[in-house]
Amino acid sequence: MKNKITAAIIDDESLARQLIKKYLSYHTNIEVISECSNGFDAIKNINEEKPDLIFLDIQMPKINGFEMLELLENPPVIIFTTAYDQYALKAFEVNAVDYLLKPFSQERFDEALTKAFRYLENKPLQENKLSALVKLNDQRKDFLERIVVKDGQNISIIHLEKIRWIEAQDDYVMIHTHQKKYLKQKTMKYFEEHLNPKDFIRIHRSFIAAVKEVKKIEPVEKESYQIVLEDKITLPLSRTGYSKLKDFFK
Amino acid sequence: MLSNPILKDIRNFFSYIFVWLIITAAYILILIYGEKISLEIAFADGLIFNILLAGFGLSYWYSAKYISFESSSMLKILISHMIGGVISVSLWLALGFFITNFLTSSTEEYSTFFINNFGWRFLVGLLFYFLIIAFYYLIIYYTNFQDKSLRENELKNLVTQAELKNLKFQINPHFIFNSLNSMSALTTIDPAKARSMILKLAEFLRYTLVNNDRQKNKLSEELNNIKLYLEIEKIRFEDKFDFNEEVAPESRDMLVPNMILQPLFENAIKHAVYESLEKVTLKFKSLVQNDFLNISLENNFDSTSENKSGSGIGLKNISERLKLIYGLNNLINVEKTEGIFKVNLYIPLSK
Repeated sequence: MKNKITAAIIDDESLARQLIKKYLSYHTNIEVISECSNGFDAIKNINEEKPDLIFLDIQMPKINGFEMLELLENPPVIIFTTAYDQYALKAFEVNAVDYLLKPFSQERFDEALTKAFRYLENKPLQENKLSALVKLNDQRKDFLERIVVKDGQNISIIHLEKIRWIEAQDDYVMIHTHQKKYLKQKTMKYFEEHLNPKDFIRIHRSFIAAVKEVKKIEPVEKESYQIVLEDKITLPLSRTGYSKLKDFFK
Repeated sequence: MLSNPILKDIRNFFSYIFVWLIITAAYILILIYGEKISLEIAFADGLIFNILLAGFGLSYWYSAKYISFESSSMLKILISHMIGGVISVSLWLALGFFITNFLTSSTEEYSTFFINNFGWRFLVGLLFYFLIIAFYYLIIYYTNFQDKSLRENELKNLVTQAELKNLKFQINPHFIFNSLNSMSALTTIDPAKARSMILKLAEFLRYTLVNNDRQKNKLSEELNNIKLYLEIEKIRFEDKFDFNEEVAPESRDMLVPNMILQPLFENAIKHAVYESLEKVTLKFKSLVQNDFLNISLENNFDSTSENKSGSGIGLKNISERLKLIYGLNNLINVEKTEGIFKVNLYIPLSK
């Protein structure tokens, strides 16, 4: 292993951060290079300092731990530290090496570190077997409640009710609201799966529309349709999209 | 099941006897003055037939009880009672005639009298049969009805109790686990502070868990417990929030529902303090207005980080609880203006 492992601690509670530092003080091969008390600071910090390992709380002001991870350019190795047990499945979906439930012991903490070391040595990481299993078994879907995006230096939180439609754009998607457009690095498939189908429908290979925005469905040619939104904007409608919409409004 | 209501209670029994005494007296008078029959026969006939009928009347209870309205059709009931009535009336007449005939000296006179009035007597017997049966049915219906409404009331009470129990505040486990984590940190950093935090948490838990059976507490007691909660959160979040209170002295001893303030404060801490990067001020106020104790909690919040849609479960529970306890709507009022969140509770004063 080269030099020292660098680490960042992200937790909105100072005592929680101090405890992790205390536990880390017995590991001389790790150096804590930054401490953050909220997700905004953490994004900036991690993108600049590029720590190898982060200790991440989930419930934090403004944006939570998961939303923060989405906005990182190169996510480091993650160990979650939280009092909430209901996010464990989701944690493994984002390839966390471990999930520490507060309060945790030095022994349990060291165990998580051992896993992290193994992970760091075997770079590049192969897809975690557990996470594949979790994805397979994840029957119960948690739909998104909001979407966070980074535009330039700013971080925006988009509430779902503001979204009009989502459009595929190479490796990205463009999220359209009345005021603005936002670029986000995610797939159409991801949004199709994580948005509540009661509110959003995949109407086309490249489009997902908010149901409440749809004003009209009109034919373009024979057997071909498009949807019309409030301000006359039209979006293409594929054949499967057409039957989905028809079922929906039945 | 039901036993004969006339025999169940000594007062009912005497009333029954009394009614029969009147009927018997009237009957004898009719025989003497209407039918112009000899005194001896009038008394013998009147007493024997009426005593017999009174006795039969008691046994009619069983036909009313076993031929119930719920289990058979109207026609079946009518036919059963017709048959029952004819049989019992015949039995009554036969028994009455033989006994009276046996006791009186002028058998011939009595026989002609009896035969002349046979049809009339038969009808009166049937009439009594149906009157008594109807009376029994009325009693059965009435007791069933009372039972039912009693049971319904009990059920309603049980449901209310269960709902109240459901709505009652439950300690947020994450608060406990996060606090334990902070204490774990403090044990090495500042052992004295760790001990003080443990004591506060213990006191908070004791009040919350032990008092859980009590429906109402004094406002001052509830407020003291809230302060423990806030002090614990303050150790965790240092200067992320301030707390002000303005408590009207006369409101301190007033009774409020147990743990009604906790979800109010928890809501503010969760949605304002946890979500904000700025300092949050919590302002608590209580004052007596007309027939209500007005409690309010106001806090500033970061309107840009408005948290999801999942807020307000705690407030909804408060509203439901107040409605169940006081039977009034609109005892909670939520105002949300630019960056300020305020909840008002109106607790009716018990007189």
